[in-house]
Amino acid sequence: MIHSLNPTMKAITIIMPAILLSFSFDIITPAIMFIYILILTFFFSKLNIKKWLFYFIPMSFFALGLAWMTMLYTDGRYATGPIIFSFLSFDIRMGSIIVSISLALRSLCFIGLSLLFAFTTDPTKFMLSLMQQARLSPKLTYGILAGYRFVPTFRHELDMLKKAHRIRGFGHAKGWRNLVEQMKQYFIPLLAGAIRKAERVAIAMESKGFTGSKERTYYTVMKIKFTDYLFLSIMLIILIIAYYVSYRLGTLNIFGHRITP
Amino acid sequence: MRKSWRLKDIVLMSVLGVVFGFIYLGFFGVGKVLVAILTPFGLGPIGYELIYGIWFIVSIIAAYIIRKPGVAFTAETIAAITEVLVGSTSGPALILSGMVQGLGAEIAFAVTKWKNYQPRILVFSGVSAAFISFPYHFFVSGFHAYESWLIMTMFVIRLLSGAIIAGYFGKILADQLAKTGVLNGYPIGKEIIARHEKSSTNF
Repeated sequence: MIHSLNPTMKAITIIMPAILLSFSFDIITPAIMFIYILILTFFFSKLNIKKWLFYFIPMSFFALGLAWMTMLYTDGRYATGPIIFSFLSFDIRMGSIIVSISLALRSLCFIGLSLLFAFTTDPTKFMLSLMQQARLSPKLTYGILAGYRFVPTFRHELDMLKKAHRIRGFGHAKGWRNLVEQMKQYFIPLLAGAIRKAERVAIAMESKGFTGSKERTYYTVMKIKFTDYLFLSIMLIILIIAYYVSYRLGTLNIFGHRITP
Repeated sequence: MRKSWRLKDIVLMSVLGVVFGFIYLGFFGVGKVLVAILTPFGLGPIGYELIYGIWFIVSIIAAYIIRKPGVAFTAETIAAITEVLVGSTSGPALILSGMVQGLGAEIAFAVTKWKNYQPRILVFSGVSAAFISFPYHFFVSGFHAYESWLIMTMFVIRLLSGAIIAGYFGKILADQLAKTGVLNGYPIGKEIIARHEKSSTNF
């Protein structure tokens, strides 16, 4: 199950196809990856499909917008083949349609991978794993976790600020034009409060003997298991298969260069 | 000036990174609105370029406050990690793009050996972040398929956005914060105190 994988290894596994997929400008390669990502999402993770769709559908509109822009303004290297249809003064060629579908599928892959990571990873465990596996310094790790902990208190503080302003008969700046005014009213005091707390936390950490040394013990020990390597290998194998199938079908296109067997 | 980081520098960087990580996420929403407006003209993704500078702002703010090597890079990376922790739809790859942007912002300060924090260097930092981040997105987002003039337009808009939103507004925000006195323990606050003493001795 994807929930129990090591967060750092999971992050690497998910970044890898995101970068390696960037070479392809054909339809087959990202399509195969996208199918694999959907299989992972629906069969190998226990996430709530409704919640997943709630994020996936709005994000996919961006992919469509991207495809539309690509279709209209395709570079000459890609805009080949017969004219399929015309829109205003744009002539849309076969090549443009192919490359725009490719880019849309690529961004759908990115979205799918990202949601897969976000929905199956515990933030604290991800930080602990970055410290223990990716050698992030304990000072930074615990600093970030402390900063992260402040966030829920922001809402409470904002509420307090608003009430304090009202008690003193100080109006609430509204609308877009008063954006700067609003920023001064709420954002600066909130941030100032957070900075004050940061200083206090730093002093408290040091006074309790936190040195930030890397030779320390951990309450929660994060490990890399066999399944983490398995997940990484399968992801890479599917990626290679995707490129190979596209190559065999004669559709492979790397940065505008058709590569055929 | 001491070049090594103190724990309070690191925690401040983390807090700034976390706060701006949330702001960055919010601006994805703003970007989406702009994209929705521009999409009928087929210029959707330019919507993001207009406000791209916001995603470099924490580099400039943190570097301007703490004034030590590596601060711009680290603060930006923390912001990116926060976005991933909270559940950004851009996923772990976002950490990579945060690192690229932070590196870009850091270049401006490295060129001046981390000694000069005048407004023009801050603006330059916003520009260098934009300059370095563009090729990365060119690669990842497949800009290669676009016509050259469109790529150039996007690039120029991003540079301007970096200069204005990250450089200029970043400086204003940090100055406003310093005015409250919470930054008196950091180089930016000390500079203000020194300036204040200098002007009061003139009387």
